[in-house]
Amino acid sequence: MTGETWGRAFAKLPDIARALLVGAVTTIQVTIGALIVAILLGVLFAVLKTAPSRALRTVASVYVEVFRAVPVLTQLFVIYFGLAGIGIRLNPLPAAIIGFGINGGAYLTEVFRAGLEAIHQGQFEGAFSIGMTRPMAMWYIILPQAVRVVLPPIGNFAIGLLKDTSIASAVAAPELMFRARSLVEATFLSTQIYLMVAVLYLAMSLPLSRAVRRLEAAMGRGHQA
Amino acid sequence: MPQLLVAAQGTLRMTAAAFTIAATVGLLFGLARLSRHRLLSRFAVGYIEVVRGTPALTQLFLIYFGLPGVGIVLRAFEAAVIGLGLNGAAYLAEVYRAGIQAIHRGQREAAYSLGMTHLDAMRYIILPQAVRVVLPPMANYAIALLKDTSIASLISAPELMLRARDLSSEYFMPMRLYLLTGLMYLVMAYPLSRIVRFLEDRLSHGR
Repeated sequence: MTGETWGRAFAKLPDIARALLVGAVTTIQVTIGALIVAILLGVLFAVLKTAPSRALRTVASVYVEVFRAVPVLTQLFVIYFGLAGIGIRLNPLPAAIIGFGINGGAYLTEVFRAGLEAIHQGQFEGAFSIGMTRPMAMWYIILPQAVRVVLPPIGNFAIGLLKDTSIASAVAAPELMFRARSLVEATFLSTQIYLMVAVLYLAMSLPLSRAVRRLEAAMGRGHQA
Repeated sequence: MPQLLVAAQGTLRMTAAAFTIAATVGLLFGLARLSRHRLLSRFAVGYIEVVRGTPALTQLFLIYFGLPGVGIVLRAFEAAVIGLGLNGAAYLAEVYRAGIQAIHRGQREAAYSLGMTHLDAMRYIILPQAVRVVLPPMANYAIALLKDTSIASLISAPELMLRARDLSSEYFMPMRLYLLTGLMYLVMAYPLSRIVRFLEDRLSHGR
């Protein structure tokens, strides 16, 4: 019985592969979209979290705590099904990008905050002593240095995000996992198809992992005081 | 809603079971990764790279839908526990490896110079110290695992998210329902994250 399914699988290989590849492209699209949203939100809330105003800090803390304690799947469901229930209908793809973006923003807030705090306090004092305001110091002195510190964690986050987009299949976003599930329903070749899916994810994530590892090595060298 | 509370118990049970598997199997792979036997460490590296390079959801689907193709049929809960456990094992293996390697090499050499075998050095000197280093990341992983159990709903394993989805087709108030679900995860996860922060503070003293 199993031998027969492998035979069928090989016969249909080109069609299956093509369908899965389309899904993989969507996966990359969702990843990039959500990454951008997450970075923007992360920077925003990291700045808020280190602001002098207590109210702003609390708002940022609440955002981080809530969106890191609740699973992404639940957040996606709130955005896709919950909003639809009160009249706001989103397409699965934008819903996924927004959902992963907001969730990722909470995670990246902590990354950026740590990056900002890693920049020696003396840099701030130096900036202030030559007459810069706080926003100016941020823009010209602190943030450029923080970017270096923060690049490897962002890279690792991106890899995690790539894999997490598989969850978007639950709200029918047409990414890799969703395509796979549809194909399995049509062909019943579950073992073969999910193995191919695993291979595709590996093909996408392993190069990224290697790039991040090289980035981490490069950042380790030439570390300033 | 009481039904959600019952389902949350399933979530906690799944988390505990998967964490146990991940912690023990992960330790095996972590030690294998550091082994001097090249075949063993290569095998461990391969396992870790593959499992960490693919989504947990795909792994769950392979175990639940794919294994029947080779004759192994599992119930959803078991498949989820095994899948999440094996996935976590790959992640924790790296945590263990980093923890063990963080213990100063001098400790190992001192142990050898006292005549201990590799195994004794591990048991009596390295691992006890590594435990301190490894506890915060493991606790953080436990929190992430709690949230990842929601994925098991997609293979119909009995936990919180699945029950929420079922109820949403009964009650037609998806927003309120899923917000309530989110709140329940918050209630489960937040105390854990406070404990983790406490652990991180306590364990970083006396460094």
